[in-house]
Amino acid sequence: MKAMIIDDEPPARRELRRLLTGFPWVEIVGEAGNVDQAAEMVETLTPELLFLDIQMPGGSGFDLLTRLEDVPQVIFTTAYDEHAVRAFKVDALDYLLKPIEPARLAAALSRVRSRQAARTPRPDAILEQIFVREGDRCWFVPLREVRLLSSEGNYIRLSWGKSQPLLGRALAALEQRLDPNRFFRANRRQIINLDFIETVELGVNGRLHAQLRDGPEVEISRRQARLFKTKMSI
Amino acid sequence: MNDVERPITQPKSQLVYWIFQLAGWGLFSVSRFVGAVVVLDLPWIRLTLELLFVGALGLGLSHGLRDYVRRHHWSALPLRKLSWRIVVAAFVLGTPLGIVTQFTGLSALQDPAFLKPYAPALSFQFSLSASIVIEIVNSAVLYIIWLTVYFTAIAVREHRSAQLKQSELARALQLAELRLLKSQLNPHFLFNALNTVRSLIADNPARAQNAVTRLAKTLRYTLTSPQDELVTLSQELDIVADYLELESMRFEDRLRIELHVPDEAAGVQIPVMLLQTLVENAIKHGIAQLPSGGLLRVSATVQNGMLMLEVENPRPPALVRTAQEGVGLQNARDRLRLLFGARASLELDLSHPSVTTARLRIPVNP
Repeated sequence: MKAMIIDDEPPARRELRRLLTGFPWVEIVGEAGNVDQAAEMVETLTPELLFLDIQMPGGSGFDLLTRLEDVPQVIFTTAYDEHAVRAFKVDALDYLLKPIEPARLAAALSRVRSRQAARTPRPDAILEQIFVREGDRCWFVPLREVRLLSSEGNYIRLSWGKSQPLLGRALAALEQRLDPNRFFRANRRQIINLDFIETVELGVNGRLHAQLRDGPEVEISRRQARLFKTKMSI
Repeated sequence: MNDVERPITQPKSQLVYWIFQLAGWGLFSVSRFVGAVVVLDLPWIRLTLELLFVGALGLGLSHGLRDYVRRHHWSALPLRKLSWRIVVAAFVLGTPLGIVTQFTGLSALQDPAFLKPYAPALSFQFSLSASIVIEIVNSAVLYIIWLTVYFTAIAVREHRSAQLKQSELARALQLAELRLLKSQLNPHFLFNALNTVRSLIADNPARAQNAVTRLAKTLRYTLTSPQDELVTLSQELDIVADYLELESMRFEDRLRIELHVPDEAAGVQIPVMLLQTLVENAIKHGIAQLPSGGLLRVSATVQNGMLMLEVENPRPPALVRTAQEGVGLQNARDRLRLLFGARASLELDLSHPSVTTARLRIPVNP
């Protein structure tokens, strides 16, 4: 598994590297000391796992994650900011306190491995999860749980469970990376998750109205309605 | 502590007071009503009105008495002084209440001529003045009971709140000590230093040994120095040097250090941990925030009987945070004021766009 170490303190990086020699299946493809450098390296090296420090010069570990288009698995490493990590309402990530206990590292890595195995292999271009931050709160959002993506200027509003977080990207750019078997462009502004459709009703002028589970009713434009019918073979 | 300022009456005890007042005077009026109307068959409309009036008067007088008692802090008096005051007060208030009662229909209860049919054994006759005295004594006894209950309740409550205050005080003290210790220890530094040491054990054992010694010295200095102690600048610089050595092991070439301390400044007395706090701030808000680090400069001069200490660090441009003003700096200012009054000062100069300078002025002869 390709991994990267991101920490601004050289001794901390060396120490982690040394600890990881006990896990030959983890291959360290790169090291970075600040957020800018890390963002660049993650895009080119495409690691599957990040060891990520929280306090770094030029931005925190969270800042890095919001900048990444494709967020790999993450293990936070921190000396004292565990409260910052625990504030996450996500079980899909781990944190290790520095100095790192070898036993805890082993446990975290085995969780990473089992999560990786549970993932269905997909073409690389398709996104599984995105990292969203709103004020002090951060989420890893699995895209299959998002029922609706609405364009708001250069942002995307996600309808996900009870939250409506805002993502700093354009809808058109993200659309390329969405699973075409799951997501469907309903109109100029909205993309719906087909798994969430409850009912579809005919509207005027050949439009369709799709009622989403737990969500709003979305209008499918005339042009897209034809596509929708073919796709759903109705 | 604001517990000391807390008024004696709180909303809850105020409510309890009124419940007791109304219940007490209500019970008094109802028992008289039962005696007069049910047993003696007196005209009940007139009696009800009169009893309401007497009850209200009794209550009003006792409420006034409570005001008086509180204003003169009777609850703080020793028991002997309090008891004769209670008796006097009871007669002072009992007199008007007794007289008023005498001129209501209730007085029939004291009139043997009226009582004769019910109690034939009563064959004597009271004079008017004797009846009034009896009413006054009756009312005074009522007030004695009232005051006894009142002061007992106060005593119980004060005892309880004293106990509570004691435990709150102890808790607050513990919390303050804990906070102080935590802020002095700087856990972020401590755990990162330990991580560095762990790394050095494999990379460079000799440096690791050096780091452990310096860490121990830094910790001992923080843990054993009391807040109000003065040390010489050179003593403080010793510990700052240890700290900086540890931080440069952590940041490696990102941290560059310059020290300018002339001999005449080295002996000046400064509050312990003050320079250390400034240096920690400079690293935390300056060097650690910059990808390529920067230069930390500490310089001292003595001019016109004042020691001027400057700690300078590069400031990240993007940082929106208004200043490096934290708890540490506020604490440092408080200590300076306590030790030197207006003669010492500490200011943070943010006028330069990319440099922060902390300036400390301390009189050489305090």
